[in-house]
Amino acid sequence: MKPGLLTTSAELSKTDPRVKLIAAKIKKENARPEALIEILHTAQNAYGYLPMNVLSYITHSLHLPPSRVYAAVTFYHFFSLKSKGEHTCLVCTGTACYVKGAQAILHELEKQFGIKAGHVTADQKLGIQVARCVGACGLAPVVVLDDVVEAKVNADQIIQEIRAKIS
Amino acid sequence: MTTLDIYIDDKPLKVEPGKTILEVCRENDIDIPTMCHLDGLTDVGACRLCLVEIEGVNKLQSSCTTKVSANMVIHTQTERLKRYRRITTELFFAERNHICAVCVANGNCELQQLGYKVGMDHIRYPYLFPSCEVDTSHDYMVMDHNRCIMCTRCVRVCGEVEGAYNWDVMNRGFNVRIISDFNTPWGESGTCTSCGKCMHACPTGAIWPKSLSGEQLHKNPEMISELVKKRKMNL
Repeated sequence: MKPGLLTTSAELSKTDPRVKLIAAKIKKENARPEALIEILHTAQNAYGYLPMNVLSYITHSLHLPPSRVYAAVTFYHFFSLKSKGEHTCLVCTGTACYVKGAQAILHELEKQFGIKAGHVTADQKLGIQVARCVGACGLAPVVVLDDVVEAKVNADQIIQEIRAKIS
Repeated sequence: MTTLDIYIDDKPLKVEPGKTILEVCRENDIDIPTMCHLDGLTDVGACRLCLVEIEGVNKLQSSCTTKVSANMVIHTQTERLKRYRRITTELFFAERNHICAVCVANGNCELQQLGYKVGMDHIRYPYLFPSCEVDTSHDYMVMDHNRCIMCTRCVRVCGEVEGAYNWDVMNRGFNVRIISDFNTPWGESGTCTSCGKCMHACPTGAIWPKSLSGEQLHKNPEMISELVKKRKMNL
């Protein structure tokens, strides 16, 4: 094993409550490789995304091949390797929302905050994402702001809410 | 020993239960093209070339992952299957950047042979021209994603035979790529043993030794099948 490839918990701060949370979860699952996805969920909840050193730590703890862990993380859209930003704004672009003008809302958001969907502002305050369908087509067009579903939105209203959050 | 009666292409056969349709066909000299199958490795049914028709079953089944059962009536050479095999082959060529003329595997490539076999004289689908990396970081082997058809033979041989698990598959759909460790350069891998089995398992010129240039590549995937057999022996 080349040095630096697989970091142990030593390289993560042991006093970091997020690391403790993951370590506890691994212990609870008896470090079973089958529990990988459960543990990744815990890590993503703690950090908001999956930093590489955390992935290394999990890989090392579960005695899994790094390639297998990376494959699982990239297969599921729920997991993210990049920071999603302090606040997230998820625009639904499913069929119903599309018909109700989701594209225009997305374009306006991208223009206002100067970032493309899937990216985070330079100050890490806001990340814009898109989803195919959030399963609330009756409320179209839908935007999910920090896990709160906003129904029948218009662009101006959403921009105002975001400005209030990030200022 | 119990045997099952089945029909393949109207020919009655007595076969042992537990075998796959592909195994039975190979034993009886019935030709079915394959890409992701390699004797000795687990079958995954990824390439969809070995599809066969089974009477009473609505969908086409991949023969490498379907086991024979009593009174199965199987067709392997219908016009529909031949048409589908050619479509599948064309899609392989259209998906990434396969240019035989500049490839080390030219003349010794399973994908190229498949093209000849199914009578592919042109490709009816638009080329996707994806931007793919060429990983030359390993000391003496190269991974060229342009020539990869995602058969995952390298992934399986690395895990099942070598036990190193250096390779896996990341992302989904159009964006799938073979990765080493954390999608890090192959040369920096902490798990790769540089055994070269993936190079021999690879059916195209996607993995090849650096020491070679045009058309010099000769792969020996049978070596892997032999290796799997020998490892089960107790001499």
